[in-house]
Amino acid sequence: MSVVKRKTRWASRLGGILAAITPSVVLAAPQTFNTALPIAEDSFVLREQLLYRHATSAQRDLDVTGAITVLGYGLTSDIALFGAIPYLDKTLDGGRRERSGQGFGDVRLFARYTAFKDNAPGRTFRIAPFFGVETPTGDDDERDRFGRLPQPLQSGSGSWDPFGGVILTYQTLAYQLDAQVAYQANTEANGFEFGDKVRLDGAFQYRLWPRELGGGLPAFLYGALEANLIHHGKNEVNGIKDDHSGGTQLFLSPGLQYVTSRWVIEGTVQLPVAQDLNGTALEDDVVTRIGFRINF
Amino acid sequence: MTTPRLHAALLALVVSLISTIAMATGPSYQVKVDGLACPFCAYGIEKQLNKIAGVEVLETDIEGGRVIVTMDDGQTLDESQVEQAVDRAGFTMKGFEPLDTADSQ
Repeated sequence: MSVVKRKTRWASRLGGILAAITPSVVLAAPQTFNTALPIAEDSFVLREQLLYRHATSAQRDLDVTGAITVLGYGLTSDIALFGAIPYLDKTLDGGRRERSGQGFGDVRLFARYTAFKDNAPGRTFRIAPFFGVETPTGDDDERDRFGRLPQPLQSGSGSWDPFGGVILTYQTLAYQLDAQVAYQANTEANGFEFGDKVRLDGAFQYRLWPRELGGGLPAFLYGALEANLIHHGKNEVNGIKDDHSGGTQLFLSPGLQYVTSRWVIEGTVQLPVAQDLNGTALEDDVVTRIGFRINF
Repeated sequence: MTTPRLHAALLALVVSLISTIAMATGPSYQVKVDGLACPFCAYGIEKQLNKIAGVEVLETDIEGGRVIVTMDDGQTLDESQVEQAVDRAGFTMKGFEPLDTADSQ
């Protein structure tokens, strides 16, 4: 194997980790994935989420900090359009040298359709499929003094990557359940192709305060527990699968949300409780997310 | 005019203005909404209802799943407009009922 190929292969081992940061979170209840709750017609929801992620493997440390901005728009009460853009700063400390890249990443555009809803007093059940594409808007040719950054450290992938899935939400005044299954088919760019991603997510939120509802429109404090089962396929470098990339991870995420009619503040810590990764792929240590949402 | 008399006159004026404003509100209606289960979603309903001409005040009771809509003086609320507004917010109107003055105070 050539030196160039070895370097590229080594870099590809970061791939699954960085791809997991991709903002699948959108507007509503869960903090690590989407919900089927509606956006009112001709209304917007803005979500800002600050992110910190740390991952390690033998003699390598990866730190990712940044922000994910999501804007949702209610085209009708059943059709919502979303745009999401991350700004990430990624630093990889390989022991002998440190490399980093930062900038706006790939914009994700998608639509969600409420295919089924059952509204009843104090509760709602909804099923909403969604479909979209991750566009190659981020810079995919960043360089440092060592040359072009490895693809996973680039802000952009350079590729058009379609994704889709379905979300189920059951919400009552006391608690909320969300579940999602999603798939992203990554395509090739710059001789590199991230492995496809499939994920299964679940979330349970429970109203901690106020314990009793005394009329009016009080703010709610929710305690939340989310679970994310994420599988990444192996990356491909120049058409050859990298046996040191991809794998399966299970995260559990306790969190809190303070919800008013106009805004939400929230935070969660994603803890990897099981990781079955290929070869020497980087393992997550922790992912922390804090943020807010605004209705307008 | 002496200072006490001036104060009394100003107080009377303020009371008169407040009474006039209070009496300027129109009829109130109770709108029952199915599917409403969190404060963040209530905003969408209130926003849609506020688009209806003549709506003066909205009071949401999330536990009761209802919104009390008070109109401007001389305005009335059309049920079909309310149903459309609630639907545009993604919810379902299950009841529409005019409230008498005593209920609305």
